[in-house]
Amino acid sequence: MDITLQDIRKTFGRVIACDRVTLAVPGGTIQGLLGENGAGKSTLMKILSGFLRPDSGEIRLDGTPVIFRHPADAVRTGVGMLHQDPLDYPTLTVLENFMSGRPERFFPSRSAATRRLRELAGTFGFAIDPRACLDTLTVGERQQLEILRLLSLDVRVLILDEPTTGISAAQKAQLFETLRRLAVEGRTVLFVSHKLEEVESLCHRVAVLRSGALAGAQVPPYTTAELVALMFGRPIVFPQREPAAPGRPVLELRALSAMDDRLRLAPLDFDLRAGEVVGLAGLTGSGQRLLLRTCAGLVRPVAGTVRVNGRDLTGQVYPSCRRHGVVFVPTARLEEGLIGDMNLSEHLLLVQPPRRLFIDRPRALEAAEERIRDFAIRGSPDSLMRELSGGNQQRALLSLLAPPLALILIEEPTRGLDLESAAAVWTRLRAHCRAGAAILFLSSDLDEIRAHSDRIVVFFCGRSSPPLDPSRTDREELGRLIGGKGWDREAAG
Amino acid sequence: MIRARVLCQQAGRQAGGVILALLAASGLLLLAGASPVEVFRQIGLGAFGSVTRLADVLVVWGPLALVTAGLLVTFAAGLWNIGIEGQIVMGAIGVTGSLRLLQDAPLPAWAVLSVALAAGMMAGAAWAMLSGLLKTVGGVNEIFGGLGLNFIASALILWLIFGPWKRPGIGSMSGTEPFPDSLWLPALAGTRLSFWSVALGLAAVGAVALLLSRTVLGLRLKAVGRNFRAAYLLGVPAWRHLLLAFGLCGALAGVAGFVQVTAVYHRLIPSISSGYGFLGLMVALIIRCRAAWVAPVAVFFAAITIGGIQLPIALQLDSSLSGVLQGLLVLGVLFSDGLRHRAAARP
Amino acid sequence: MARPGAWGMRLLAGLLLVGLAGCGSGPSPDVATPRTDEFVFGLLMVGPANDRGWSQAHFEAGQYVEKNVSGTRMVYVDKVNPADRPGTTPAQLANDLLDRGARLIIFNSDDMKDGALEFARAHPDIPIIHISGDNAWPKGRDFARLPNLANVMGRMEHGAAMAGFVAAMTTRTGRIGYLGPLINDETRRLAAATYLGARHAWTQVLKRDPGQLRFKVSWIGFWFNVPGVTADPTQVADGFFSSGFDVIVSGIDTTEALAEAKKFSTPDKPAWAIPYDYVNACAEAEGNCLGVPYYNWGPAYVQHVEAVRAGTWQPSFQWLDPDWSDINNPDRSAVGFQKGAALPPAAAQELDAFIGALAGGLNLWTGPLRYQDGTVFLKPGETATDTQVWYLPQLLQGMTGQSVSNQ
Ligand SMILES: Nc1ncnc2c1ncn2[C@@H]1O[C@H](COP(=O)(O)OP(=O)(O)OP(=O)(O)O)[C@@H](O)[C@H]1O
Ligand SMILES: [Mg+2]
Repeated sequence: MDITLQDIRKTFGRVIACDRVTLAVPGGTIQGLLGENGAGKSTLMKILSGFLRPDSGEIRLDGTPVIFRHPADAVRTGVGMLHQDPLDYPTLTVLENFMSGRPERFFPSRSAATRRLRELAGTFGFAIDPRACLDTLTVGERQQLEILRLLSLDVRVLILDEPTTGISAAQKAQLFETLRRLAVEGRTVLFVSHKLEEVESLCHRVAVLRSGALAGAQVPPYTTAELVALMFGRPIVFPQREPAAPGRPVLELRALSAMDDRLRLAPLDFDLRAGEVVGLAGLTGSGQRLLLRTCAGLVRPVAGTVRVNGRDLTGQVYPSCRRHGVVFVPTARLEEGLIGDMNLSEHLLLVQPPRRLFIDRPRALEAAEERIRDFAIRGSPDSLMRELSGGNQQRALLSLLAPPLALILIEEPTRGLDLESAAAVWTRLRAHCRAGAAILFLSSDLDEIRAHSDRIVVFFCGRSSPPLDPSRTDREELGRLIGGKGWDREAAG
Repeated sequence: MIRARVLCQQAGRQAGGVILALLAASGLLLLAGASPVEVFRQIGLGAFGSVTRLADVLVVWGPLALVTAGLLVTFAAGLWNIGIEGQIVMGAIGVTGSLRLLQDAPLPAWAVLSVALAAGMMAGAAWAMLSGLLKTVGGVNEIFGGLGLNFIASALILWLIFGPWKRPGIGSMSGTEPFPDSLWLPALAGTRLSFWSVALGLAAVGAVALLLSRTVLGLRLKAVGRNFRAAYLLGVPAWRHLLLAFGLCGALAGVAGFVQVTAVYHRLIPSISSGYGFLGLMVALIIRCRAAWVAPVAVFFAAITIGGIQLPIALQLDSSLSGVLQGLLVLGVLFSDGLRHRAAARP
Repeated sequence: MARPGAWGMRLLAGLLLVGLAGCGSGPSPDVATPRTDEFVFGLLMVGPANDRGWSQAHFEAGQYVEKNVSGTRMVYVDKVNPADRPGTTPAQLANDLLDRGARLIIFNSDDMKDGALEFARAHPDIPIIHISGDNAWPKGRDFARLPNLANVMGRMEHGAAMAGFVAAMTTRTGRIGYLGPLINDETRRLAAATYLGARHAWTQVLKRDPGQLRFKVSWIGFWFNVPGVTADPTQVADGFFSSGFDVIVSGIDTTEALAEAKKFSTPDKPAWAIPYDYVNACAEAEGNCLGVPYYNWGPAYVQHVEAVRAGTWQPSFQWLDPDWSDINNPDRSAVGFQKGAALPPAAAQELDAFIGALAGGLNLWTGPLRYQDGTVFLKPGETATDTQVWYLPQLLQGMTGQSVSNQ
């Protein structure tokens, strides 16, 4: 299906999210969409998929102007979108989510849907249990499910807003394969991402948005430097990892074991030293997340001990861990990390221990301004969190980490961040390390893990590898371990 | 100035809902064969037609404002404190119990009344915290817990009135022996209205408004209400704040019980709450945590309650019509809110 | 952004204007000022005006006044009780009637005692009748010595005795249930009077062993059903009928007992009930109604209204006998007994004889009588004084059921 977006304009109050964007995508194309955080990518895609209505401008599908009153209108016309932050029903099961939004009989067949879901999941190597409750899934898995759902709806235009932030390299390869196949079938794919190499390898053409306006477009062969220049309008410096000078142990795990409804963490002994960054790699749901949450006091260990700075915190709940300098930063930003209806200065007040009775507004504003400056957040102290773009939400979340910290447990630290922001985030996190904190993070992005970890621990089915040195472990070996190969040797060694 | 403008804007937004409700009510009245104009006129006159009537409106307003103020705290914390009726009842029981103990003691009336007020607040708060504990410890949704506790509270008050606290030789639901006049909150001359009832209501509304808009505690309560999980991860002891919200609300409900016992009925009766808990829920629903609106909207609802009494007297209409009107108002306002939300979702 | 605000202001202003215009368009800001030659009296009823019981009897008495005394008009509020009108008090509602021009206010229930006193004290210039109260009785325990308070009550002890009489004449199982309202002096004495009538029929007319007569009182807790608060009279009545009782004498303001009698009655196991208060109460189920002792408040109301109009009204305590020449005379008798369609002719004859005896001076409140706990109430030959009857502290020996609440 040919898509034409003509002079699309969208404002939120004073913010111009899309500024007369004109973009034509012929059928059978995989169109990449790049742009820094807050550039207006999601807004433009939401307009195309009927979630938002433009202030002005026109959408034409195969030459005919269309007006979507409702996302369902768009789906009926064949336009489906995977949202950056999952828009699903966390209280329902996977199957029920999968079945939602279909124009179907009054009593849909569960068995047929289950079969279809299994089949599709099989093609992509996604392991999703149809009976599981959605809120036990990770954000990445929820995105996977949503992709499957859209494919099963047989959409002719598939919009993917940062679909690769929660899936493994192998799954990513599968996904790209499918997208290429869909394009060959004549379907149109719009692909939003911050990862240049993905866009470069997948997309037939790329458009770049900056501050709401179309900054430029490219067709292969792409030149990365030019794309970066189009995106940011300036060159980016990437921080070099300075090898840590590890200090005293901050986190000591002894024979730690924990359990959730999906897996059991094999007993783990591990030390993390001040100033050190350790990355946890593995397929989603292999135990990394469980480990982080156990260290944070969000999951009660079934055995073993957790000590932080020499103090035994085994079985302590999160608030008391927090009092001892442990913070946990979750992936699901708007569900667990931030309060969508509150603004940054209110968040800053929340994270401080309440010293005064009354709110000191001028000071709170000042503090918020300061964070906005330091973290280059696009927004003002009183913009609500849900109004910020995904990347800016992540920056806001990180800006709430206030020293002194002992241990930062962080899930997907740069999920949804553009290159510049990701670099900025790591600069910030490094600063915490220099101040004596230790960081334990998980990421589904192997490159991020390799680039920023002092040591790497790989997880597979609840088992964990001994810490690996990133400079002496190459990508392929990591990939093998993540995929479950070579564990017996590792365990022996 | 800015504040006033914001208030006006909000009023404008609600006016649509109010008009909608009035239209629906008019339709209903026409169906019932009554003249809407006459009905509204009678309600208006019944509420504001004379000083006594106005005083009667304020008699309702006092406890209603107290209850609504309390509910704003629980609403801010994201809780549906359906147990509010039971909390008023328990507050009234606490007040009555302490008055019975102390009414013959050689103490000045103000001291006895102060003790009773404290007892009422504690009883209300304790009953509310029980809802909270059921939720935090037992995982019982506060709506179901509250309903259950309401039942228990009304069973308890009946048992007391028919049993240990019955009037000598009498077994009737009409209540306990009235307290001596010295233990009545003094009424303004020629009315049934006690200055203290209005003062307590105003103080509660003011305190809650201040709490929610200006204090760190209020901010934390709101954070817990809007996103419990995130507030917890941001370091707010969320469970404790839930309990605290329940406790504050229950204490205010207890004050409402105190006013009902010492300023309105001067004794304990089975329906001591006068349904103000549920009425307060309606008011709180309409104003949606905007504390500045408690006072006027509560006046409005109190006026309909009091003005509605004229319907059977003047027009031989059933006075439950005023309840219908109140319900329609809530629906109208919520409906227009909903419409606006849909419109805002896709501007 | 200023738009909605401006609009809001306009709308609000418009609303207020409409409201004010509505208020101003009446004859005057004050409520329905009565014509100067019209006499308005106010009536507060504890139950619904159409309850086929106590409140309806009062309501129709008010209409009787309107019909028989020209230039009078009634204003009223019904359901004056905290369960039906939460947040209100009788005194407050009386005030509303005052605002509507009432110059005499009638509080129709014992339940409004405190309210009536409060109102009487606050309005010393307004004559007040408190039905069934005793605060205007110089001999009474709670004499309040107020210049504007009168009490009126019918001597329903006679009516109750007649009800008990026909119940005992009719019962086949020897079991009579008494469906009592709340427990107080009034209800105890009426239950006792019913029992005395039943015992009289049982021992004096039927010449049967008093030990064979079961008379059980069950109290519901108020004058009528308040769901969730009182016991449900329907269920209490069911309980009676399903445990061998075949006649229920009702002491409550509504007619549940009669409805249940109709439901439970079978050809070989008939069930009967005797409602209370209201002359037409049998209409609910004629075929199961043995009759109804009722109040006829009209004549007393007329007398008070005329006295107030003439300026001769005085506080008084009236405990009004039936007109023994014709207890069912609507213009003279304060208490009557309407025979029901189900009353067997023989029993009806005996009833007439019984009424004749009462008219001739038969006093059932004559010793020897003992209280329920066995202590002596009246020595042989002794008759009860008015205060002894009015303030009866316990049920009588031979009755089962609570004398005082001990729930
Ligand atoms: N509902 C909203 N209300 C107010 N402002 C909004 C809203 N949604 C988006 N914005 C603003 O519009 C601009 C564009 O946001 P958008 O989400 O389209 O960015 P994006 O390109 O998707 O960024 P990211 O890469 O961070 O996801 C941002 O400045 C954002 O703050
Ligand atoms: Mg986005």
